Amino acid sequence: MSLADELAARLPAGTALEFGELRLSRLDDGRFEARHRDDADTAGGLEGIDSVRDLRDLAKSDADGGYRPLKTAPGLKRGWRTETGCPREFLARLDAIYPGLFAAWAAYAKGELPPVPLRRTLGRQTGMYRLANTIDDAMAERLRRELCDAGCLRQIAWPIDEGDPAETITAETGHLPLLCTEACTFAVSRARELAKVARSVSHGSRVTSAEKSTPHDP
Amino acid sequence: MPVSKPDSALLILGHGSTENPDSSQPCWDHAETIASSGQFGSVHCAFWKEEPSFRQIWPMIEEREVYLVPNFISEGYFTREVLPRELELTGPTTRRGDLVLHYCDPVGIHPAMTGLLTKRALEMLDGSARPEETSLIVVGHGTGLNEKSTEAIQTQVEAIRAGETPFARVLDAYMEEAPYVADWRMLTDTPNVVVVPFFIADGLHSYQDIPVLLGIESEPTAAASQREIFRQNPHRFGDRTLWYGSAIGTDPSLAGVIVDQVACFDEHYHP
Ligand code: SF4
Repeated sequence: MSLADELAARLPAGTALEFGELRLSRLDDGRFEARHRDDADTAGGLEGIDSVRDLRDLAKSDADGGYRPLKTAPGLKRGWRTETGCPREFLARLDAIYPGLFAAWAAYAKGELPPVPLRRTLGRQTGMYRLANTIDDAMAERLRRELCDAGCLRQIAWPIDEGDPAETITAETGHLPLLCTEACTFAVSRARELAKVARSVSHGSRVTSAEKSTPHDP
Repeated sequence: MPVSKPDSALLILGHGSTENPDSSQPCWDHAETIASSGQFGSVHCAFWKEEPSFRQIWPMIEEREVYLVPNFISEGYFTREVLPRELELTGPTTRRGDLVLHYCDPVGIHPAMTGLLTKRALEMLDGSARPEETSLIVVGHGTGLNEKSTEAIQTQVEAIRAGETPFARVLDAYMEEAPYVADWRMLTDTPNVVVVPFFIADGLHSYQDIPVLLGIESEPTAAASQREIFRQNPHRFGDRTLWYGSAIGTDPSLAGVIVDQVACFDEHYHP
């Protein structure tokens, strides 16, 4: 079964699913619709958006015009809806807002997307990110709390250390989880920042603002 | 060189940015162009600093044969180290289970880039100046980045010179190493100068830094007016006239270069 068929099968006519800040629904005539979940009960006045490109643009910035490089950060704009009869097109439109997240859930649910422990992700880094893996477990917990829990809607499936049990994520009825099976580029950058601060503290030096900023790799 | 690969996917690999919302746009634009041509079963993009990331991309791709084309300007740290590591590539062709991955050359080193630079410079002049009275400057970053971009630009400039260039002079210049683009008036002796940035996307360098170095802006422009910078051509400096364009990677012809890299891969490796 293709991913688009799988999406259609998970969303039979007349049903709805919550997917992050999205509300996906299948109309009685079989057409697919997505909108912001906070607009679920809005009857009219929503702007129709009917292309992948325009949806990608929508997801690019928040209501104040700020850039959203992390697509699963809360703050998706409201006031729009998108509708199509084609499951493949519907999947492409969802991918414009949450890139790859339906595919990730589908693969994970079949046991085909094993989570990658944080240490393995950090340990793989080279160049200026090599330092990232020197964080201790307390710093790793802090990273999860301050970056992931506070600023991202994904549910974390990765453990910190190799050998730690990975949390099993299950879908609540009416929900498609936004899944995180491997720490993202923001987490790697944050680990590097924490490592730098720790290193300068242990060396007794102060961190200059230039050192705190994260220049482009390398 | 069109290809017909309805059973293969094309994956365009970009850098992306956590700060510059325009960084990934050329990748998406080229992907859309190629997808609408129907040459591949599907066309995807993945990024180092945006989503979908290199690590997230695999569940999205349903074809079992994938051509990966780095949308990078040169060979270097990214194409040789970061991309193979993040994508778990082991050589030109990687077999992983039933998945076959072909890792093509980056777009910036394709020979077609040479003609593209000339085409773009002529388009910018738009008949308003004679190329034989014009110098073409291809500008890059220069030192500081662990990429062979300087070498890539030199190769392009030499190739343009070796061909039948309509321009009086063709030269390379850099933001951070000699010959400095800030010295464009001393580097050239023609009344007209056209400057093309050899970057994959527009960003702070092309919107802000290079315009200041060229003297067409006195200070970095505000974010909202970034694209305006390319609409103010030409700029007059006494008896000299300067044209400045957006990054070469934003040219729509890059879509063709990406597909050509797939054809080149097949020709070379006969997968
Ligand atoms: S690591 Fe995962 S959960 Fe944490 S911010 Fe990145 S994407 Fe979100």
